[in-house]
Amino acid sequence: MKSMNFKRYTRYVFVVIAVSTFSTCKKVIDLKLDEAVPVIVIDGGISDLNENQMVKVSKTYSFTEPNKFNGVSKANIVLKADAKVLAVFVETDPGIYKSPTKFKGKPGVRYDLNVTFEGKTYEASSIMPARVALDALTFKTFNFFGGNKSYIVANFSDPAGVANQYRYILKTKGVVEEDAVSEDRFNDGNKVENVIFYELDDLVKGDSVHVEFQCVDRNVYRYFYSLGQNSGQGGPPVSPANPPSNFSNGALGVFNAHTSSSRTAVIK
Amino acid sequence: MPYTIRVVLILLFTTLFQYSNAQTRRTVNGNITDSKTGETLIGASVKLTGSTPAGGITNAYGFYSLNVTDGNYEISVSFIGYKTVVKKIEISKDIRLNFALEEDNQLDEVVISATKKNENVSSPQMGLQKINVREINNVPVLLGERDVLKTLQLLPGIKSAGEGNSGFYVRGGSTDQNLILLDEAPVYNASHLLGFFSTFNSDAIKDVSVYKGGMPAQYGGRLASVLDIKMNDGNRKEFTAEGGVGLISSRLKVEAPIVKDKGSFMVSARRTYMDAFFKLSSDSSINKNTLYFYDINAKANYQLDDKNTLYLSGYFGRDKLGLAKTFGFNWGNATVTLRWNHLYSNKLFSNTSLIYSNYNYVIQNFMEENNFEVNSSIKDFNLKQDFEYSLSNDHHLKFGLNVIHHTIAPGKLTADARSSVNETTYENRKGLESAIYVSDEWAVDERLNLVYGLRLSTFSLLGPGNFKTYDAEGNTTQIKAYGSGDFVKNYINLEPRFSASYQMNTGSSLKGAYTRNIQNIHLMSNSTSTSPTDLYIMNSNNVKPEIADQVALGYFRNFNEDKYEFSAEIYYKWMQNQIEYRSGTDLRGNGNVEADLLYGDGRAYGIELFLKKRFGKFNGWIGYTYSRTERQFDAINEGKWFYAKQDRTHDLSLVGIYKAGPRWTFSSVFVYNTGNAVTYPSGKYQLNGRTAFYYKEKNGYRTPAYHRLDVSATLEGKPGKRLQSSWSFGIYNLYNRQNAFSIDFKDDPDDATRTQVTRTTLFGIIPSVTWNFKF
Repeated sequence: MKSMNFKRYTRYVFVVIAVSTFSTCKKVIDLKLDEAVPVIVIDGGISDLNENQMVKVSKTYSFTEPNKFNGVSKANIVLKADAKVLAVFVETDPGIYKSPTKFKGKPGVRYDLNVTFEGKTYEASSIMPARVALDALTFKTFNFFGGNKSYIVANFSDPAGVANQYRYILKTKGVVEEDAVSEDRFNDGNKVENVIFYELDDLVKGDSVHVEFQCVDRNVYRYFYSLGQNSGQGGPPVSPANPPSNFSNGALGVFNAHTSSSRTAVIK
Repeated sequence: MPYTIRVVLILLFTTLFQYSNAQTRRTVNGNITDSKTGETLIGASVKLTGSTPAGGITNAYGFYSLNVTDGNYEISVSFIGYKTVVKKIEISKDIRLNFALEEDNQLDEVVISATKKNENVSSPQMGLQKINVREINNVPVLLGERDVLKTLQLLPGIKSAGEGNSGFYVRGGSTDQNLILLDEAPVYNASHLLGFFSTFNSDAIKDVSVYKGGMPAQYGGRLASVLDIKMNDGNRKEFTAEGGVGLISSRLKVEAPIVKDKGSFMVSARRTYMDAFFKLSSDSSINKNTLYFYDINAKANYQLDDKNTLYLSGYFGRDKLGLAKTFGFNWGNATVTLRWNHLYSNKLFSNTSLIYSNYNYVIQNFMEENNFEVNSSIKDFNLKQDFEYSLSNDHHLKFGLNVIHHTIAPGKLTADARSSVNETTYENRKGLESAIYVSDEWAVDERLNLVYGLRLSTFSLLGPGNFKTYDAEGNTTQIKAYGSGDFVKNYINLEPRFSASYQMNTGSSLKGAYTRNIQNIHLMSNSTSTSPTDLYIMNSNNVKPEIADQVALGYFRNFNEDKYEFSAEIYYKWMQNQIEYRSGTDLRGNGNVEADLLYGDGRAYGIELFLKKRFGKFNGWIGYTYSRTERQFDAINEGKWFYAKQDRTHDLSLVGIYKAGPRWTFSSVFVYNTGNAVTYPSGKYQLNGRTAFYYKEKNGYRTPAYHRLDVSATLEGKPGKRLQSSWSFGIYNLYNRQNAFSIDFKDDPDDATRTQVTRTTLFGIIPSVTWNFKF
């Protein structure tokens, strides 16, 4: 909790100083960017829910193109659990690969994902952490510098004595609006109320907010923490870099074996 | 390197031996002061003409010492901005001669021709830039806040760390590789408000010197530069007060004798009041916020007798920031320096300093269920003993020692029972940094001057605590517990220093220098700008001392009777054990930060050109730098060399000051520089339905070029009144250039199918006005 809030505060500090002292000015500009050779991106996950587990394989594309899922076909994907083959994924849509049957991932199991595409093999492994449930979603309003801002708060009990990492995926109207992580370095073993910093103020009465709460392993946490730093989620801007992927051979993306628990809150 | 050391040692011993049996000589020494205020003058020139001519300049305490044989001499004492004093003397024994120079307001008249105005040419020192504090007063600045560090950035080889930022890069070094000394005390965070203002209130400052290379052996501890700032001592003649009222801050300085001509004090304070505007709001979420900083500089000195003077100086500054009832954040430095100048003999000058330096920050979160407070600090106790020994007129020795005890408290987290935050304390780290040095300035003949010396520096990481060793992947390989006072790890380094000048004629010289610098304490900062929460770490099992070797060559020339000064310097620098982080490193409250560090090499090279018109109604300078600075880390950018973020190809500054009459002064600054090396996306992809960016290489792009023109005008009040006042009007960024403070990439908020590039500009055109007074 603390670390996530603190990052946000540092960001507010910057904003407050900039706004109160100087006349900042933002403008959309044209900037010529290189066209890089496309690179493979693997976005894969195994959850503890009984479902067709999914892996997405795509390629990077030019900055100036419209946003899209640039999926690639004919990848060969094999999932192993504790070194034994568990599933061979099948392509259901271009770039979308699913396990042929529904199954639940198990906490404590090491999963290995093996993706072969255009003659190259990319491997990643992830250990599913023990499950922590999301107990409730509550609301919180902050009085920041002349305006009220409302946020969703994730409530859960952190297990004592182990290092936990959490990921929060907030969706409204089916669109992912916030994807953030936290860890229990400062509140191990406590009841935690963690603010998800997506401003709810644009939503109207009756709108619903869906939060998926995942427990992720250390490498996955680090991947998303780094991704957040690039987009300024971590307060003062850092020099951006590709987040540390758990895939071998230079693939972008992450393989995430996680537990999942979700709740929905309705704006009143 | 061993060869260099051998040469230095041989030189040292042969010269010492040679002069132990020199002929009987008399010593002439004394202090040079300002006649009106009694302030000692640093760098004033003293010249004796007669049977054995001799010359020198005053040291940091306004003291000089020369050796001559018996006879009749003419002594002339001069200092820029003061009237030269010439006096006939007969020397038959050691004598002490103090001089009080009168200020000369007719700067435009070149009256002095007999004096050593070409110190910049004849001295073997290179890589040195001095700032005349009077010059600073006329250079336009952001919001009218005069700032030593920002004026420094207008000199070649010294680059601004960002728009409006007081941080600076010297010859390819980072901001933490500058040793910033205020009355000898290291200042750890020399900026306010996240870098927009420096901690140095120019009212309190007497002398500013920056060494970009060729650092004399008495300085050590940082890789890239030494910024040596000396505070005013205080008026020894009468009570004076001065101050100013500006847009964002006000200042007041008072000084007075403690005992006339024996001792004095100076107190200078400054406070900003941006948050005063918040109070005007009726909204409690605004008017309960705080945002300000203050500085207090204080100094007292007392001359016990001809041979003993005591100085006590201190600096206290703090930034305070608070968001009503939710969040508080404050940080600041405190330094105290106690010094004793003592003359052991006519030839041996000694200064002993006891220095305390402290930087800390406090973060408070007041929200009930998550309340916490974080405290972090770095604290130094420092003993310095410096000797200056005039062996002969041709040899001036400096030697001494320095011991610093560091204590770093990385973080203590406290919270009350209601909070979900657990109390945590990270182990303090203690270290002992020591050095001994010896250096000789040798006038070999009329043309050749040398400064050569050696600094032996050691660093010991001290217990108590549990110390971890990590492998290349950042995994812990060993944890070992040490008791209090145990030595965990020791490092010893030799730092040879060598500079030479060869004077081709009275107006021009060639200089060369080789310098090795060692840095034992490192600032961890992964943000693109400095942050008050940046973490200091010391050498350890994992972190090795940073090493820089620099060679430089220069051509120095004065012309038109020293009215113009020109210099060209080229340098090449090799750096070892440079530090970077793995991506995704969280520096905050990270007890295992060393696991996330990467080590590599650096190289920097460039040419610096400087042309200055020193006197006249119109004066000013042009500085131009062409430079490169690169880094290489095995785990970054596939092991290929990449441009460091401070790499800027071209950097140009123009400064012009025009004295239109007795009351009006106009000035202008123009700066241009190539954009910094920066990482921008070269593609994009989708991850969990959101846009993510692909970075092909590190720092492969450039931010847009930066340029800006500032102007200012100063109107002095009518002379002759008891209360003298002046008005300063300024315009920052006159043609409203939209310089990029940051460039952001994100989805278009109005069209989720597109990504867009946004430029944030911090300062457009900004006018300012300041009223200054003095009585």
